[in-house]
Amino acid sequence: MIKFQEVQIGYKEKLITISDLELECGKMYALIGSNGSGKSTLLNTILGTLPILGGKLSINKLDSFSISKHDMAKTIAFVDSKFDGIEHLTVYDYVALGRTPYTNALGRLTEEDRLIINSSIEKLNLSQFTKRETFKLSDGERQLVSIARAICQTAPIILLDEPTAFLDYGNRKKLITILNKLAKEENKCILFSTHDIDICLEEDEINLLILNQTSKAIEIHPNSIEKSAIISIGFQLVDK
Amino acid sequence: MNKRAQLFFLLLIILLIGSFICHLFAGQIRISLSDYWNSIFDFDVSNTNQLIAREFRLPRAIIAVIAGSGLSLAGMFMQTLFNNPLAGPYVLGINSGSSLFVAFSMMTGIGFLQSDLGIISSALLGALVFGFIILFFSFFTRNHVTLLLVGLMLGSFTGAIISVIQTMSSAQELKAFTIWTMGSLQHVQFDQLPLITFFFVLGCTLSLLLIKPMNALVLGGKSSQLLGINIRSVRISTILVTALLTGVVTAFCGPIAFVGLAVPNLTKTLFRTQNHFILLVGNFLIGGIFLLFSDIVIQLLEETIQLPINAFTSLVGAPFIIYVVLKRLK
Repeated sequence: MIKFQEVQIGYKEKLITISDLELECGKMYALIGSNGSGKSTLLNTILGTLPILGGKLSINKLDSFSISKHDMAKTIAFVDSKFDGIEHLTVYDYVALGRTPYTNALGRLTEEDRLIINSSIEKLNLSQFTKRETFKLSDGERQLVSIARAICQTAPIILLDEPTAFLDYGNRKKLITILNKLAKEENKCILFSTHDIDICLEEDEINLLILNQTSKAIEIHPNSIEKSAIISIGFQLVDK
Repeated sequence: MNKRAQLFFLLLIILLIGSFICHLFAGQIRISLSDYWNSIFDFDVSNTNQLIAREFRLPRAIIAVIAGSGLSLAGMFMQTLFNNPLAGPYVLGINSGSSLFVAFSMMTGIGFLQSDLGIISSALLGALVFGFIILFFSFFTRNHVTLLLVGLMLGSFTGAIISVIQTMSSAQELKAFTIWTMGSLQHVQFDQLPLITFFFVLGCTLSLLLIKPMNALVLGGKSSQLLGINIRSVRISTILVTALLTGVVTAFCGPIAFVGLAVPNLTKTLFRTQNHFILLVGNFLIGGIFLLFSDIVIQLLEETIQLPINAFTSLVGAPFIIYVVLKRLK
C-alpha cells in the first residue's frame, strides 16, 4: 500500500532514510522514536504535505507526488493527536465531513453518504452522541469521533499522529484495540506514531517501526521484541 | 436540515416579509398599496405618492434587504475563512478599501468614475485589493486580535489618504463624498436597482459554491486540505465573493458598520450549527430583517432626530460585539 524505496525525508535537510519498506493493507504499524526523531515528518511526507528529498515513495502503486490533493483525500485519512472540538459542530456533522472528497460542488450528501456516515458512527458505538456538540465531549470521546470521521472518509490508509497522547490508560487501550480491529476487519493499512511502547507490546500483531537513533533509518520489528531492545534502538539513554 | 433550522427559517421568512411591508409603510407620508402597485406597473409621474413610492420607498426597502444580507454573508465568510468570530468586512478594512477607491473616483473629476458603474467598479476594486491585503497579512498571524489590529490600521491608513484627497477636491465633490461616507439607504434610485440586484444575485450564487469548502474549513486549514479542499483557491474565491458583496453594498450605501460582524454571530448563536448552508440562509434572512428594522426605527425617529444608518447599526451592534468579545475571547 505504501512503498518506500531509498526514500530520504526531512524538512530541507535529510532527517531519515527509508531504504526498503512496504506497509500493507490489513496490518497496523506503530511508529516509535524519540522526540524530534522525525515521526511527524514521516507522516507529513506520506500525506504529501512535505516533499520527499530523494528516492521513490509510492502510495497505492502511484508515485506520491503525482497524486492530487483530492485523490489523496480518498486514499489517506488523517487523525491528529488532538481534536479540540468546535462550538456548534455536532458529532454527526463532523463525521459527515469525512465525505467531503466524494460530495458534489455544493457538498450535498447522497443516501449512500448517509449510510456510510451512520455505519462509521455505529462502528465506534457513538450512536448516542450524534447530536452532541464536539466541543462538549471528553478528550477520549473526541478522539473516537475523529476516528469515526477517518473511517467515514473510506480511505484504504489511515494515519494517526500520536492518537493516544492525551488519553488515560483505559482509553489508550480501547483506541489501540479499535484500530487493530479496523486493520483486520476492514483491511485498512493503519500507521500511527506513539510513545506508548507498553500498550503496543500488549496488543496482538502490531508491527513496530522503530526510528533507529544511530543509523537514522527505520527498522521494522514484530511486537515480540523486548522493551529494552526497543529502547536501545530508538532512544539513546547515554549518561552525560 | 434539522427541525430547529426549519422552524427558524419559517419564522424568519415571515419576519422578513413582515418587516419589508412595515418598512414600506413606515415613512411620514401615507402611501397606499395601490400607489405601490401603480408605481411599478402603471407609473404616473405626476402622482406625488406614486413618485415617492417608486423613487424613494421601494428602492430604500429593497436596498435595505440587499445591504443587510450582503454584508452579513460577507461577514460569515470572513469569520470562517479567518477562523475569527470578530472578523467582518468593516473591521478588517474591506469597507475602507471601497471608501478609498470611491473617494478617488468621486473626487478626481473624471466623468466615467463618477457614474454608477464607475463607483461600483471602484468600490469592488477597493474591496478586492484590501481583501487580498488582509489575506496576505493573515498568513503571518494566527492570533485573532492581531488581524483585527491590522484591519484597524488599514482603516486609519486609508482615512489619512482620504483626508489628503479631500483637501485637494472641490466643495461639491467633497460634499457628495461626505454624504456618502455617512452611509445611507436613501440615495439609491429605482433605475439603479437592476445593476445592484445583478451584482447581489451574482454574489449570492457564487456563495453557494463556498458552502462545501467553508464546512471543511471550520476544522482549520491543514485538516480541510487533507479532506481534499484546495485551500488556495478557496481563499481567493472567498475574498472575491466577500469583496463583491461588500463592494456593491458600499458603493451605493456607503460604509455600514457592524452588520457584517454582529449578524453572523447572532445567526450562529441562534442556529447552533456549523453547517454553512443553514448559516448562509440564516444570515441572508437575519441580515435583511436587521437592516429593515434599523431603517424603520430611523424613519420613526425622523421627526425628532436624523440618524444615519451607520450610526444606528453601531449603536445596536457595538454592545452586542462587546458581549461576543467577552464571551468568546475571555
